[in-house]
Amino acid sequence: MKTANEFRAGQVLSLNGQAWVVLKAEFNKSGRNSAVVKMKLKNLLTGASQEPVFKADDKLEPIILERSQVTYSYFADPLYVFMDEEYNQIEVEKENLGDTLNFLTDGMTDVCEAVFYEGKAISIELPTTIVRTVSYTEPAVRGDTSGKVMKLAKLENGYELQVAAFVEIGDAVEIDTRTGEFKGRAKS
Amino acid sequence: MPLMTNLPISRHWHLFCRVIDNFGDIGVCWRLARQLQHQHGQQVTLWVDDLRSFHALCPALDVSVAEQQRQGVVIRYWAEEFPELTPEQTGDVVIEAFACELPASYITAMAQREQASCWINLEYLSAEDWVPGFHLSQSPVHNLSKTFFFPGFVAGTGGLLYEPGLANLPRQMAHLSARQTFLSGFGLSPSLADCALQISLFAYENPALEGLLDALQAFPRTVHLLVPAGRVSAGLDAWLGENTVAGHTYCRGALMLSVMPFISQPQYDQLLAMCDLNFVRGEESFVRAQMMGRPMLWHIYRQEEEAHLDKLEAFLGHYCRAGEGPAGSRLADAFRFWNQSLPAAALNDSQAQARWHELLHQLPVLQNHALAWQKQLLALGDLASNLVQYATDKV
Repeated sequence: MKTANEFRAGQVLSLNGQAWVVLKAEFNKSGRNSAVVKMKLKNLLTGASQEPVFKADDKLEPIILERSQVTYSYFADPLYVFMDEEYNQIEVEKENLGDTLNFLTDGMTDVCEAVFYEGKAISIELPTTIVRTVSYTEPAVRGDTSGKVMKLAKLENGYELQVAAFVEIGDAVEIDTRTGEFKGRAKS
Repeated sequence: MPLMTNLPISRHWHLFCRVIDNFGDIGVCWRLARQLQHQHGQQVTLWVDDLRSFHALCPALDVSVAEQQRQGVVIRYWAEEFPELTPEQTGDVVIEAFACELPASYITAMAQREQASCWINLEYLSAEDWVPGFHLSQSPVHNLSKTFFFPGFVAGTGGLLYEPGLANLPRQMAHLSARQTFLSGFGLSPSLADCALQISLFAYENPALEGLLDALQAFPRTVHLLVPAGRVSAGLDAWLGENTVAGHTYCRGALMLSVMPFISQPQYDQLLAMCDLNFVRGEESFVRAQMMGRPMLWHIYRQEEEAHLDKLEAFLGHYCRAGEGPAGSRLADAFRFWNQSLPAAALNDSQAQARWHELLHQLPVLQNHALAWQKQLLALGDLASNLVQYATDKV
């Protein structure tokens, strides 16, 4: 069993005897050091979806599925195509990618994991930390190096996130793919 | 006489409360239990795991008795070894307050009911933007469905916990004789009701306390500061240089500082209602001051990784929007200052004193602001009524 806050987009869990893939997991601190997680789930058999909320420490049953390491190749609407180590093409439907879409960019080299259910690729899991380049943000705030003051930044694929005020256009930043949050400036 | 109008069908509510620290958990649960019973005519059982803490709020409670009835509410001790209940003995509506975990045997019994219970997790209060998106979400656990119910400050949340008559209390306490009677009840001189400003102080330990007391002492008008005994008491003793005693008043310059014993919820409501400014903390007192339309400064419950500061800012984003222009911004800074989230601000120097004096001079403006905010909150309906309406639709 895993706690609800350990699940992230691409993983599969069992609810009431059925398999559900996590398309999105939103974590929030509710009060006095407790937290809640809202998930967007898709039923792997029926395609039905639901958006339940769990306490962060609720125990849920993960379903261990076949996986293989892949890298992103290209987008052929509505399919995203990945390549495994043996150059097999693996197609994943756009709607099954959930938050992973925020970080897919042409030419990316991150080694991801394709997850298979009954022989079909049903999701892609990104590495926990990825590095992306900031394509636009307001000029850096002089003097603030604490990393506590945040501002909006846009990545090359258009995804926007909050970054530290000292980040500049062209900077490579580390992102936590579980939360979609800025972790720090990438070491060059 | 309890207020009961247009009562919904009476159902059996089971409300579970774990006392973690302080009196916030049981304070909210006890108030909710009574309101469900008195105002909505529901049958309520309140399960509490700490009767001693509860006793402080309900002195009539016998801590040695596992099941008793007080003010129309059945109170049961939530022992570690939970009694076996039949499915019919579980509640039609079951509330786990503040995400406390229900006993496993209770969940099992609940799952065997012929008609499913309406199972609700009553969550913590937060003004953050994500709350409306989580409110009323279902949680499929233990082959049952549990609803997450979030109190809140905006449409799309469950509102705040208050009784219909609460907003009238400030008008009652505006009479000098009412304030004098209140003070006399605690052995305090009725003449203190004549002070230019009445301020209540309920807070956690706070490094900005010394600066506040210095500022009140040097204020050009007389200030009566009323402090119920609690976590701030040691800070008072340190500033005064003596051990304070409940029922005594200590004079320092313009400041008359009265120490009060631990007071009941109705007495605390009266205190909030008679004061020009209330320092409140946590959740319970914070909500009461707002629903009475009184100016207040909130000392938020500290959380790991400074998560409370995000919650403070989220609240200020709503609260101070109701105050126009510079007044709203100054008010927000006062909240940040009291919670040490203005990093560059020294807490106990002459600038701090000027900051406090400016705030006190702004009280007439803040009073208008508090009333405008109260009006917004009243439009959301009260938490107990919203819960009853939700449960009525579900069961």
